[in-house]
Amino acid sequence: MWEIWVQQLFNGLSAGMAYALVALGLTLIFGVLHVINFAHGEFYLMGGLGLVLIVQATGIPYPVAVLGAVIVAAAVSWIVDRVVVRDVVDRPGGFSTVLLATYAVSLLVSQAVFFTWGSAPQRVDGIPGILEVGGVTITYQRLVVVFAGMAVLVVLDLVLRRSALGRETRAVAQDAFAARVVGIDVRRVRTVTFVISGAIAGLAGALLTPISLFSPHMGEAVLIKAFVVVVIGGMGNVGGAVVAGVSLGLLEAILGRFIAPGFALALIYSLLVAVLLVRPNGLLSPSR
Amino acid sequence: MIFRRLGKLMAAAAILALPLTAHAADAIRIGITMPTQTLLGKQAVQAAQTAADLINQDGGVAGGSQIELVAYDDENSPVAGVAAAQRLIDQDGVKFVIGQMSSTVALAILPVAQAAGVVFVPTVPKHTDITKAGYDKLFRLNSTVAMDSAVFNGIIKDTAKAKKIAYVIENTDFGRLLLDSIKKSLEGTGAAVVYEGFYDLQQSDFGNLLTEAKASGADTLVTGGATVEQYANVIRSAAEVGFKPDNIIISPGSLNANVIKLAGASAEGTMSSDIYLPSIDTPLNKRFVEAYESKYGMKPEKTEELTFEGVWLLARAIDKAGSDDVAKVAQTLHANAWETPRGEVRFDDAGQAISQSFVVAIKDGAIGRR
Repeated sequence: MWEIWVQQLFNGLSAGMAYALVALGLTLIFGVLHVINFAHGEFYLMGGLGLVLIVQATGIPYPVAVLGAVIVAAAVSWIVDRVVVRDVVDRPGGFSTVLLATYAVSLLVSQAVFFTWGSAPQRVDGIPGILEVGGVTITYQRLVVVFAGMAVLVVLDLVLRRSALGRETRAVAQDAFAARVVGIDVRRVRTVTFVISGAIAGLAGALLTPISLFSPHMGEAVLIKAFVVVVIGGMGNVGGAVVAGVSLGLLEAILGRFIAPGFALALIYSLLVAVLLVRPNGLLSPSR
Repeated sequence: MIFRRLGKLMAAAAILALPLTAHAADAIRIGITMPTQTLLGKQAVQAAQTAADLINQDGGVAGGSQIELVAYDDENSPVAGVAAAQRLIDQDGVKFVIGQMSSTVALAILPVAQAAGVVFVPTVPKHTDITKAGYDKLFRLNSTVAMDSAVFNGIIKDTAKAKKIAYVIENTDFGRLLLDSIKKSLEGTGAAVVYEGFYDLQQSDFGNLLTEAKASGADTLVTGGATVEQYANVIRSAAEVGFKPDNIIISPGSLNANVIKLAGASAEGTMSSDIYLPSIDTPLNKRFVEAYESKYGMKPEKTEELTFEGVWLLARAIDKAGSDDVAKVAQTLHANAWETPRGEVRFDDAGQAISQSFVVAIKDGAIGRR
């Protein structure tokens, strides 16, 4: 019986890492730009779509195609930043404007995908092969998701804590006006943050497509879970998003051993409500 | 003065008579609602249009009237479905509404159709309640779960000889209804459903569910539903988690080319039952398949055939009745047997279509009769 536990915990870990990757970008944008990016699900979608198009058009191997997909997602997020975020964020009422504008962008992008690609789901094979240890069966693709997720986190943490860009980013997150006063190019920092967030979401999309199948709807479903993770982890709390994301994945896997998946989902949303009531800054943020 | 009055009266009468004279060449509108943003929904509307095109090519119906199709997206949601139906009836003036993929949507539209007195032909929904409303202008084309059960349960019990079944399916009316039917047919046989895994319609990662199915020691996997991107992924994920059942069986009517495309080699040997195969050898089916394939690049399957039939049967009935009067058309539909791509179809008193059923399977990457 223990083999099933190991396998389920591993499934949960890979699913949780995916949630964490998507939530990471969302919480970064909130932490640094102090806005909610409703188009974030579409960056995830662009990662998947980029992967599908590149593989179909060129047939290059999966790891290279993933890189291409990340570039596609980063490019799309750069455009979104340029058009509806960069010049709007500092205006009075900028928060609400960006919220609505990014929501509009999400509709635009998903409808554009339906209009051009259509509604067909698509299979893309990632890293092939299955690892069988005892009675435990793990696909290499899921292993890649877990390790890639950890790699992204380590790199991001190093950048934020050790590099000049990281220092500037933390300064802008703390107080954009003061950052400007000490000579930081706030606009550039914000754009870089936005693009990096989009790129990470795109990476998640490209890594998850071999597991979940590409679907033009994939942006919608992931965004809801990402919001749950961000709120539970604390909005703007990068470490919190990761812990909350992975915990959510593991919790779903564990609960799935005892109760129907529908109930597990209801329990998780109840947890969200509970967190909002008791610790509205998130479980893992200092309560103010 | 009296001549001027008379003149005005005659002019008014002439103007009022104009629409009546123009009527003979007017198009007859058939309205359709489908979840056009999903793959199957879009393909269904394409098939309906194919029927309209073929009918119009043949010269139209009831003295040359052309068939005009009006399509709206019902988003697989009852709210959007009712709005679409109202729009068709009130704004577009249609007297014949067909379509829907989801039983929930069809059940929501039914009272609207009944109140407006239009002919209502749900093409794909399977829920038994649809034919229980006692509406004489309702015609349901797809088989019900109860009708499929006989053949389907036969596949589980006799062909697959399943003893322990893992049931992984969408959390909808359909998914639950099918489970009840399977359980009932297994009573007293010693076989049982050992795992029930319901997933919600937004789910895309089935690793957890299939791992539980593997843990249950099941020898058969039963899956299916309306969203092929999900149940095809269930089949693929089963292989990935190391769950290797002796047989994989899909809900009746859900085995189509998309399953092969999305699940790949892991779908080899998958069985199901169905009321239509593109390989059926009749002149009408050949004509339908050829027309659809030449325009859309793929063979039509059951959802396409049923939706084609919705337009085709209405047109044939309007033609036979000689008018688009809803009462006459409904009576004509009830009173006759009809030639369709899937074979002969007739309707029972409740409006349920009755036709034959086949056992199908994926062999060497293609679907054929088993």
